[in-house]
Amino acid sequence: MEKLGRYETDRVGYVMVLPYIIFFLIFVGYPLIFSFILVFHKWNIISPMKFAGLYNFNFLLHDPLFWKSLRNTLIFLIIHIPLQIIVALVIANILNQKIIARGFFRASFFLPVVISGVVITILWQQFYSFETGLFNTILSRINIAKIPWLINTKFAMPSIAIMATWKNVGLYIVLFLAGLQAIPFSIYEAADVDGATARQKFFYITIPMLNPTMIMVLILSTLGGFSLFIEPYVMTGGGPINSTLSCVLYIYKQAFYFNHMGYAATLAFAVAFIIMIVVIIQRKLFETEVYA
Amino acid sequence: MLRLIKWFTIPLTGILLLTMNIPLQAGEDVVKLIYWPSSNPQEIALAVNIVDEWNKTHPNIRVDMQPLPASQSSEEVLLTAVAARTTPDICSNIWPGIVGEFAEANALVALDRFKDFQDVTLSRMSSDILTNFISRDGHYYQMPWKGNPIMMEYNVRLFREAGITNPPRTYSEFMEDAKKLTKDTDGDGSVDQWIGVINVNPVWWHRFFDFYAMYIAASGGRTLFKNGEVDFDNEYAVDVFRFLQEGFKKGYFPRGTLQGSQFLLENIAVQFVGPWDIAYLEKYKHEGFEYDFAPLPVPDGTPEPILTYSDPKNIVIFSTTKHPEEAWEFLKFLISKESDLKLLIITSQIPFRKDLDIDSTYKEFFEENPKVLKFARQISYTRGSDNVTQLKEVFDVIAQAFEYSVIYGMQEPRESVMNAAETCRRILRR
Amino acid sequence: MKRIIFYILLSIATLIFIYPFIWMTTASLRPEREISYLFPLSRNFSFGNYITVFKRIPIVRAFLNSLIVSSSITISVLILSSMIGYALSRLKFKGRELIFMVILFTMMIPFQITLIPLYVLMVKLGWTDTYQALIVPGMISAFGILLFRQYFKAFPKSIIDAARMDGCSDFGILYRIIWPNSIPALVTVGIITFMNTWNNVLWPLVVIRKTSFMTMPQMVALFTVGGQAEAQVGVQLASAMMLAIPIVIIYMIFQRHFIASMAHTGLKG
Repeated sequence: MEKLGRYETDRVGYVMVLPYIIFFLIFVGYPLIFSFILVFHKWNIISPMKFAGLYNFNFLLHDPLFWKSLRNTLIFLIIHIPLQIIVALVIANILNQKIIARGFFRASFFLPVVISGVVITILWQQFYSFETGLFNTILSRINIAKIPWLINTKFAMPSIAIMATWKNVGLYIVLFLAGLQAIPFSIYEAADVDGATARQKFFYITIPMLNPTMIMVLILSTLGGFSLFIEPYVMTGGGPINSTLSCVLYIYKQAFYFNHMGYAATLAFAVAFIIMIVVIIQRKLFETEVYA
Repeated sequence: MLRLIKWFTIPLTGILLLTMNIPLQAGEDVVKLIYWPSSNPQEIALAVNIVDEWNKTHPNIRVDMQPLPASQSSEEVLLTAVAARTTPDICSNIWPGIVGEFAEANALVALDRFKDFQDVTLSRMSSDILTNFISRDGHYYQMPWKGNPIMMEYNVRLFREAGITNPPRTYSEFMEDAKKLTKDTDGDGSVDQWIGVINVNPVWWHRFFDFYAMYIAASGGRTLFKNGEVDFDNEYAVDVFRFLQEGFKKGYFPRGTLQGSQFLLENIAVQFVGPWDIAYLEKYKHEGFEYDFAPLPVPDGTPEPILTYSDPKNIVIFSTTKHPEEAWEFLKFLISKESDLKLLIITSQIPFRKDLDIDSTYKEFFEENPKVLKFARQISYTRGSDNVTQLKEVFDVIAQAFEYSVIYGMQEPRESVMNAAETCRRILRR
Repeated sequence: MKRIIFYILLSIATLIFIYPFIWMTTASLRPEREISYLFPLSRNFSFGNYITVFKRIPIVRAFLNSLIVSSSITISVLILSSMIGYALSRLKFKGRELIFMVILFTMMIPFQITLIPLYVLMVKLGWTDTYQALIVPGMISAFGILLFRQYFKAFPKSIIDAARMDGCSDFGILYRIIWPNSIPALVTVGIITFMNTWNNVLWPLVVIRKTSFMTMPQMVALFTVGGQAEAQVGVQLASAMMLAIPIVIIYMIFQRHFIASMAHTGLKG
């Protein structure tokens, strides 16, 4: 802050911020407005736009595939989020103890996070392959029936959810670990004085104190879940029978396979709206004040 | 002679490509045309040959060939070019499915505006074939060029050893043969030889090579639409669905995706492919491998001739051209007798020509390549795809119904087909 | 006692996270028929699958493309985002807070909404199948601006004032004084930006169709989905390995920074 009372404008500030203004106008502002306009039109890029009023909106409400993609995404989230939180929490807790080579462990868990989703997907596609995949081969060896991981409608999305958890949990372990380490030791000491058991300490101190981290993990996972694209695109093409058709994959298909630009824009807004609602609900339900 | 052409063309390509980059010294009255062939190496070699021939004999109209960049889908490249108005004068890699959209966007020149259109086309192909490609407004925006008719490729040895003398003609014959040919050959308890394979990926264009081709065969030449209306909710589509569904139910077709070329490995007895496979098999086949082609199987009682899907690629002239008349001249050159012969020799694909098996120009070629002759005879008995803008979506719907009913057996064929037709009607009404 | 259980659990967990990569490495070196063997080692190790990949797709070109794109974006983000972050944190001008709110707002817009219009924009500009399409939309990162602004706010005012009195321009202050003293922030933003751009596959899939401009993850994805690998698992895995190795190498070198960056941003989140 400059000296109080002096109103001085650093003109150079405008110069510095100018690139962003230009950038924003071209790559954010324009697309947003254009997207909004597209919602009310039918367009396939090569022909002129045709005004369509609320047509796209109406179609969306009656589009079984849209609701299916939402349902698929929700199934994904219901499995992925709790699984991720539990695993990350447990491992972060263990790592929070005095562990030798903590850095090594942490780095190993984190490895899948940095590797491209394409690599992970190709790898797990091999694991999940029905006839010759690693998982089923192991299962046959111990005389359990092969599981139709990716070719059965009930198993496909859960399989993808498990893979996504494996990929991302490292990040959340790191976040939880940071959150755990920020909890002042003195609180635990005070609890010890009161004779609290380990269990009580965990549920009444650790978890509440981790609330901000928890919320962040929740929101990040939710955003990630709604952005699910490359996994179903590579692994299943949205099948079997559209059980792994995610919201973004559906938007992609509508826009780039069928050239329904107006409808794709409508889908995008609808999904964005839903994400916003979900995040608001999550915060209302789970966010608590942390008194530190 | 023919062999010489084939052998020297591809190496010459490199040299010709180099020489073609030397700018012409001629002045303003030379018309320049840009031509896009496909990105597949044989077609590029063909294009180089034809373009060079043309440039030699037509010094006033110079054609520059630019291969479509190798990419995931040439349709999108073309779409972007149309949107940005950077289209070439002529393109010979047009899938009829996109002609509808392009025509509606006024991106194409109507070919029937040229006075000699009727003469040129009907002297080359039957009117039956030509009308395959008419657009909704009654004009022709594409010139049928070549096709790869889908036929049934079968392993002669496997059939012989199973005691079958002729490849199956009908669905019942197919099922009988399937019983004999699907088995566990190495005794490990799981089946490893099947009669055939159907691609189980729910990608819409796979269905061209199984469902759609067989539908055309079964129905004696119907396509999915008639006069722009959905027309496939009929017995024939149901028959095809039922036939293939049975194949999966009884385990005659493998469920998962297999690796490698199963036909070459002799793990499957039958494949549904076009003439492109001949070049592949000739290159990789091992000692004792015998194969041949037959028309697609059809429901019992279907009369001859048996039709099939032509998997066509056509030529268009884009409306951005500044020289439509000259472009038309070049187009005619592309479909001349001599160019068609080169097409056969260099790419083994079949031009849409009705007199291939009797015209002396082609006699020598077919004597040396009898298997291609079968396809050449078949080309006059084919259908293309409908000129409907939403064709991709329609096929996507069919592919999904196919997955549901045929591959997973979760729905009765009749119900599946009817639902798919209804959904397609809804799509068209949008 | 509890310790031992912890170590066992951790080791099992580590195995679960690392073994798949070990398997992938060995599987990519094995001939096709041995792919489903459980035992990792094989007598027939060879680079055959890798050679096939090189023959079938221009993967080196794709690697170079990824390198060019990711590096360009990272450098641009570091320069521009730090500049804007500096302006927002240390300079006074009307509209400063408004711009900051706008930046926050843009971070909340899901990419699904801007994806299609951005594509259309690329088509209209004639930028499809060009480097510009891959680089320019990523040149400024809102996340980067945020981080730099936060970091620069804490920078000692006295040093800046001293430089001002010496007649140093604000640009000079930023690049000659603040930068050398903000290595952690630079590294954090740099690593995260590089990693995210390298792994980004949706945008290239949308704007690039020519193989000569495809990025590496895009090419490997299309290779697998598109059937050019002819359903040969070993070849697919080899291509995946080639995609993974560059990042793994960088990861092993900068590992501490990676993790610290992520944790750091998480806390401020």
